[in-house]
Amino acid sequence: MNLFDDCLKRLWELLPGEADKRASYLPELAAPEGDKNAILFRDETAFELGGGGKPAACGFLFGDLPPGPDETLLYGRDLSEIESDSPYAHFTVVSLKPEAEETLYAETLKEIAFKGFQTYPAGFHLRVSPSAGREQARVAKAALAQTPPLSFLNVGAGLIRLLKTHPAVERATTVYVTRPDLDHAAFAALARKAKQIANALESAYGMNELDCAACRMKPVCDEIEGLRELHAKRAHG
Amino acid sequence: MDTLRIAFAGKGGVGKTALSAAFIRLLSERFPDKKILAVDADPAVGLSTALGMEPPLTLDEVRVKIAESIDQGETADAVSLLSEARFHLEDCIAEKGPISFFAIGRPESAGCYCKVNAYLKQVLEAISGNYDFVVIDGEAGIEQINRRVMETVDRLVLVSDLSRKGLDVVRTIRSVAERLVACKEAGLILNRAFSDFDPAGADLPPVLAVIGDDPNQARLDAMGESVFNLPADSALLAGAGQALDAILAKAGA
Repeated sequence: MNLFDDCLKRLWELLPGEADKRASYLPELAAPEGDKNAILFRDETAFELGGGGKPAACGFLFGDLPPGPDETLLYGRDLSEIESDSPYAHFTVVSLKPEAEETLYAETLKEIAFKGFQTYPAGFHLRVSPSAGREQARVAKAALAQTPPLSFLNVGAGLIRLLKTHPAVERATTVYVTRPDLDHAAFAALARKAKQIANALESAYGMNELDCAACRMKPVCDEIEGLRELHAKRAHG
Repeated sequence: MDTLRIAFAGKGGVGKTALSAAFIRLLSERFPDKKILAVDADPAVGLSTALGMEPPLTLDEVRVKIAESIDQGETADAVSLLSEARFHLEDCIAEKGPISFFAIGRPESAGCYCKVNAYLKQVLEAISGNYDFVVIDGEAGIEQINRRVMETVDRLVLVSDLSRKGLDVVRTIRSVAERLVACKEAGLILNRAFSDFDPAGADLPPVLAVIGDDPNQARLDAMGESVFNLPADSALLAGAGQALDAILAKAGA
């Protein structure tokens, strides 16, 4: 799976070396799941990540991860150290099992990426706009008042736990960014690029009905068409 | 306590919006720890002024935004659309203390938004469970009932003055609501009415309150001020309180 290689390379370039916090995945680290229909009201909210029009890029990338465990990385301040609406970026990198790579279909990638919309950590009220590539999260005052306070490491562990329920997922790393001095415009551009690739894959695999002659994704589709044929040949001997 | 959904309907200009706002004020005063969702379902968007709350976006603006993103080739599968609807819907909600408010708005673009509507309704239904009370200021006439926008209403409050046309509209809405809307009960508030009006034999829903002319309310309307500036002893608040008592008693709240 090398479709996302450029995106992955760009992600690691945009991140400044060592993370401020990192934690290997442990199921017991995961934040408990809350009610999926719950709203966190403003008077119960300490701050909103990406709130007040601040950057809030999110993206899902598939590709090879360096050897090591599933983990959560944080660049910037943790939830208990943030005092007001903050710039935010969240990228999830998933590597697939070799047998899943052999029979890769866009549907599989989509199923895995959807897991990112289906996590509802208690006290971390997440909302995602797939079309805008934005992910915002209101953080509950109550979640920060508890001992220990809710951390990105808990939220990340919850997401990894969910991702690992998909049979095609081998490993996952989830990256949170709250440092305001990093290039959030570049994170947004990276999220858009990753979404374009995902859209093009869907198109190539016939999941969307599009007029190729009029479609703005045609160049990306052309690029991956060869790869799709290669996978089909491998899958069918 | 389960969510109690109360919707107002009736002919245009009979005071639905003022009464909806009065209900919301009274609920927020009587139950300061409860959450109230105020929905302006009238394209005239008058509840915003009546409550002194401005929604950042209307639901129709969100509908257009989502539909446009689909037109631009974004994926339109169920999971994405639900996530998209939820993301934007929260941008529509203005909050002040225990009150959350959003407006449906005016449909300003032509075209079919059935698919988007379906997801927005699904999300709306889901989020309304976060609230103890939902108060809907409905569009004049029966269109919304017919389109089943209010299909999960617990109490339908019909509002009319004593005009023949107003009372005819009440009868029509009640009859449509009985057939199409999952509404447990309908009641009537007679507004700007004389107190010795006898509704017996007029084939009307049970009368919850009879309210006379209210000069305080007229002044408030003229100044464009919110219902929270209405004196506590005004006729509108007294009548609304009486109707609310009857509804809460029946709901066991």
